[in-house]
Amino acid sequence: MALIELILILGSIPLYAGEIDILLQKLVEKGILSPGEAQEIKIETQEQVKKEIAEGKFSNLSSWVQNTKLKGDFRLRYQHDHSKKLSTTTSPTDKDRGRIRLRLGLESKVNEKLLVGLGLATGLNDGSADASRSTNVSFSDSSSKKSLSLDYAFAQYSPFGWLTLIGGKFKNPLWEPGDLIWDTDINPEGGAFKLSKKLSSNTELFMNTGILVIDESSGYGADPTMYVIQPGFSHKFNDNVSLKGAFSYYGFSGVKGKQLDGTAGTNSKNSSNKLIYNYKNIAPALELGFKEPFKMLKLDIPYFALFAEYVKNIDSSVKDDNSGYMLGFKLGAEKIEKWANWQLRYNYARYGKDAFLDILPDSDRYGGKTGVKAHEIMLDWGLGKNTWLGIDYYYGEQLKGNFGQSQSKPASLIQVDWNMKF
Amino acid sequence: MKTLINICLTAIFAMGIILPCYAEKIVAEGSTTVLPIAQKAAEVYMKRNKDADISVRGGGSGVGIASLIDGTCDIATSSRAIKDSELDKAVSRGRNIKAHVIAMDGIAVIVHPSNKVKGLTKKQVKDIYTGKTSNWAQVGGDNQKIVIISRDTASGTFEAFGELALEKEKVRPDALMQASNQAVASVVSRTPAAIGYVGLGYLNPQVKALEIDGVMPSKETVLTNKYPIARPLFMYTHGVPQGLAKEFIDFIKSPEGQRLIEEEGFVALR
Repeated sequence: MALIELILILGSIPLYAGEIDILLQKLVEKGILSPGEAQEIKIETQEQVKKEIAEGKFSNLSSWVQNTKLKGDFRLRYQHDHSKKLSTTTSPTDKDRGRIRLRLGLESKVNEKLLVGLGLATGLNDGSADASRSTNVSFSDSSSKKSLSLDYAFAQYSPFGWLTLIGGKFKNPLWEPGDLIWDTDINPEGGAFKLSKKLSSNTELFMNTGILVIDESSGYGADPTMYVIQPGFSHKFNDNVSLKGAFSYYGFSGVKGKQLDGTAGTNSKNSSNKLIYNYKNIAPALELGFKEPFKMLKLDIPYFALFAEYVKNIDSSVKDDNSGYMLGFKLGAEKIEKWANWQLRYNYARYGKDAFLDILPDSDRYGGKTGVKAHEIMLDWGLGKNTWLGIDYYYGEQLKGNFGQSQSKPASLIQVDWNMKF
Repeated sequence: MKTLINICLTAIFAMGIILPCYAEKIVAEGSTTVLPIAQKAAEVYMKRNKDADISVRGGGSGVGIASLIDGTCDIATSSRAIKDSELDKAVSRGRNIKAHVIAMDGIAVIVHPSNKVKGLTKKQVKDIYTGKTSNWAQVGGDNQKIVIISRDTASGTFEAFGELALEKEKVRPDALMQASNQAVASVVSRTPAAIGYVGLGYLNPQVKALEIDGVMPSKETVLTNKYPIARPLFMYTHGVPQGLAKEFIDFIKSPEGQRLIEEEGFVALR
């Protein structure tokens, strides 16, 4: 036993690996160690040395660097918008744009349980519809300098493995398989907490909640605010089939009678452009995923998922155009990680003009308006590690009955992206 | 608003009550290859020690190591050594990862006893399983089409064989997939042109094990690193294990634990 300890000590000083191998071999030959014991010592020593190298590498860095992670991404985009010729217009409307998006993020640990994060991104901060829902800037204005804004800044406290509290302006804490309700660029403001409990290796329950401030108004209690609670679950039936689902409840206060910043202008409003309804939503969502689903057909496709979302404004004051849904699928690689990884995604969304607030949905789907139906199809193609090409096509129309008009005003949008993350 | 706050507080309170109930047990999570060893050992250990509560989960080596780094399991089971990137992450979070080798996983390539081929190179095995070689005559055998027998994709043996022998290339799609080591050995014993692979513990006189790169699979050649289709199996802990985690790992490394390992078809260290 003392001999084994001696070898372990030797393993922790800079001996050549070959020297330990020779020593162990001799001890096996002399019958002092069995081959299994020698193997155990050799591998555990290798692992110990690997760990000490990692610790050494780490201890050479100053403590703030050790506790800080920097990340970001850059996107170069060509975008073409097209609106069909209508009886009220003389020609179709077409618009071509070159756009960029840059995002930089930093997360730093204050201590083992407390984290602070901040992100900067290109984009506007003027309260317009684009300000919360887009991080693109267009090539324009004689090569003008572009705005860089605070995208998020938050503190995150995790007192236990199953509880995380977040405050500030942060990444959306809610799970959504598509983007029926939330544009993925929106980083809500306020407070949230996330609970999770693993019931077994296959099943996990979670609950996300938040009190999210939409706008600030003068007067006590008048701020338009969203209250949300989202219990959900994920379950793996086996190595290849999984199901994730959640049921969200959204309550709002201080919304009726307000004109919200960032509105797409499609929720019902009065002549002063103030919202005439309250909003109170339920939103169930499900995603069913399959790994290697077409193996029986000898098709090498790693992943296929079907998803569905539904939303309904259950406030009793809203009688019409108060629900919506999205159906879609994802096919291909779960993540684009290398050359020739690909992923195809499709969704169809349809939602009435008062199904939910028009400050939230994807700004690329018919300008982020409600009262629309739209198809979206996306293809991503891996170019290498951390870089991929993406093509995204939208075709949308206004729901005619929602606005008392005879024309659906169809419009399409195509985006060709070169994405890089670092 | 009040209702929502009440619901949230109730949920936190409920979690706070439920979670301490689990505090006494240990969780071993990770490799599907190590899963049968951990399950069997936990079952025997808990039968003897009624107060012990050992929860064993699969999910994959990466999942187990990630859980250990996150502090959501006590023992990460793994069929591979921890990666440098995982160690960096662990160190950055102040986790002191300690490795424990519990067994070796050696995989024998088997054929029907009437097959005149005595050995293959690792590359020939790879070419046969990926479809580049399809006739025994191409590797010194009789002129007959090779019948490929493989484990099903959910098995740890399939995963290990894919990594160690096939360098992560895919098994040809017309391979006959079997649900157990015994089933592979049984089909190979009844099919003169078949080739299959099994854990060392499943070799029997009805099948013939092939030399790989000139080395016959055996406990001795696996433990001395001479046989090429072999790998160590690990349990990782945060620091030197204490309490039940220490007792459980000690049990697995004991002669009785090592006997259980051999019963599961793996190579014991002792």
